[in-house]
Amino acid sequence: MSFEYPWRLPVALLAILAVGWYLRYAARRRDAAALLYSNVAFVREAFSTSAWIVRMLVAAWIVSVALLALAVAGPRITLPVPVQQGSAVICVDTSGSMASTDIAPTRSAAATAAARAFIRRSPPGIRIGIVAFSSQAEVVQPLTSHHRRAIQALAQLPPPNGATAIGDALALAARMLPARGHRVIVLLTDGVNNTGVNPMAVAQRLGELHVPVYTIGIGTNSGAFIPGTGEPAQLDQGALRAYAQVSGGTYARASDAGELRGILSHLGGVTGFEQRRVDASLAFALLAGLGMLASFLVGSFFGGYR
Amino acid sequence: MPATDRGRRLRNALLTGKRRPRLFGSGSPSGLRGDGYEFAELRAYVAGDDPRRIDWAATARSGALQTRVVLEDVALTMAAIVDTSASMRVGRSTSLLDCALDVLRAWFEAVESEDRAMQITARGAVPDIRLRGRAAATAAFAFHASASEQFDLWNHLRIARAILPAGSALLLITDGYDFTEEETVPDGDAMLADLGRRYDMTCLVARDPWYEGLPLRGFVRFKDAQSGRLLDAYIGARQRRAYVEAVARREARLIERLEQARWRAAPLLEGAGPASLYAAFGVGHLVQS
Repeated sequence: MSFEYPWRLPVALLAILAVGWYLRYAARRRDAAALLYSNVAFVREAFSTSAWIVRMLVAAWIVSVALLALAVAGPRITLPVPVQQGSAVICVDTSGSMASTDIAPTRSAAATAAARAFIRRSPPGIRIGIVAFSSQAEVVQPLTSHHRRAIQALAQLPPPNGATAIGDALALAARMLPARGHRVIVLLTDGVNNTGVNPMAVAQRLGELHVPVYTIGIGTNSGAFIPGTGEPAQLDQGALRAYAQVSGGTYARASDAGELRGILSHLGGVTGFEQRRVDASLAFALLAGLGMLASFLVGSFFGGYR
Repeated sequence: MPATDRGRRLRNALLTGKRRPRLFGSGSPSGLRGDGYEFAELRAYVAGDDPRRIDWAATARSGALQTRVVLEDVALTMAAIVDTSASMRVGRSTSLLDCALDVLRAWFEAVESEDRAMQITARGAVPDIRLRGRAAATAAFAFHASASEQFDLWNHLRIARAILPAGSALLLITDGYDFTEEETVPDGDAMLADLGRRYDMTCLVARDPWYEGLPLRGFVRFKDAQSGRLLDAYIGARQRRAYVEAVARREARLIERLEQARWRAAPLLEGAGPASLYAAFGVGHLVQS
């Protein structure tokens, strides 16, 4: 923890001491108006206030005053906070194999629904772009902070058709991302690359640039066929795990649309966090106020004495 | 300070009370050196008189049985101890001490010509124990302990035990906080019992001014009348209830303790001092406000 205005700390302590002195002075003046009683020890016994409650009240009060002094000095602490200017590109596989129905209703529909969930869960301010790829990659939605626009763009994804150029998609996504800041790529595919540049090389390069690729394997190896082709629809988990590993991301497999949405929703939630120094003055002041209020209320209920 | 009707009834109650020592024959029941039976008068013998009291010389002269009446049969020794500690200087409209002084006045109003009257102080009896009658009562009532004089209940009781002849009537007016100093007076109960055996003991326990309930709510600062110590407390419904219960419990326990020691004990109500005294002797009714 550091302080924005460290010189305020002794000033605040002096001010607190001055206020304390004044309150004591005022209390002495109030003594004249105190209720004269035969034996205050009897009153204390009658109220049966536990000593630990009084000690707790005093401790709470001291801690609250200390927090107030710290709040005045402008404390700064490092915390994981939602990133407001991060960027994420979602690469959605639209190759012919995504028409398979081993995930209900189809792999393609499941991927689209999951991408939609990811966008909805992303913190405001995160810029999102969408790349569709099959035999080649194309930008469906450039980076935008208008999440509603990105969701609308998902409707423009082409129907499943053609080969799978994962390397091209990753390269295009990398070009869309800004040079700095918090950046991620989310790859939604069944993982069988059969055209374009080598995806492993691109993933390696992205890792060097600190751009993690989160790969989501869509589909199963249940022996389902690609509709209209007679070819078996496959899922290359090994390749997807390798792309994620070399780039610093993670791999997850979604065997149905619901699970896929869950994974991507979680990813959307964690994408936007970054360690930052934040101003904790308000939090400290609120804690101090709560402490004082709590000690007052506890004192009100149980009765305090000195 | 003329004797009032209720004063006379109070005196009569003391004279005929069961606590009054019965004097038989000769000898001295007094612990005071030289203070034996003192001749008062001769009267005609009545059935029940102790034969040892018959004055045979007077009988021979008059031709009828004559009984010697000693002063102890017709005169009282009335003493009082008033708690003058700072804890008695609190109260609602009047202080407990002012109320105690009203009681003291009523007590000494019962004194008649041959009675002794005195107030027990830290330095002994005021006035001297040999003084009798209304003059003694007036002097006893006029004494006021100086504010700087520390009141020590147990010390006063020890002095009374050393001074007073057996059968004396001793009135104690206190708020009772000194009775709880068990650590300083480990044999307190034995001493109270001893006093109860030797004297006609009466204690009026000054009732807490806020017996019915504390007058304040919320954050209240108390100041100890004795030590000046402060106590900040919050008074809510729970505290008010606890306080009323504790005050009633304390008064009841104190009275029970004194009664066990054969004392006559009763509460002293603010603004009704003399009435509290007469009620304790059964010569009046006390209307509790």
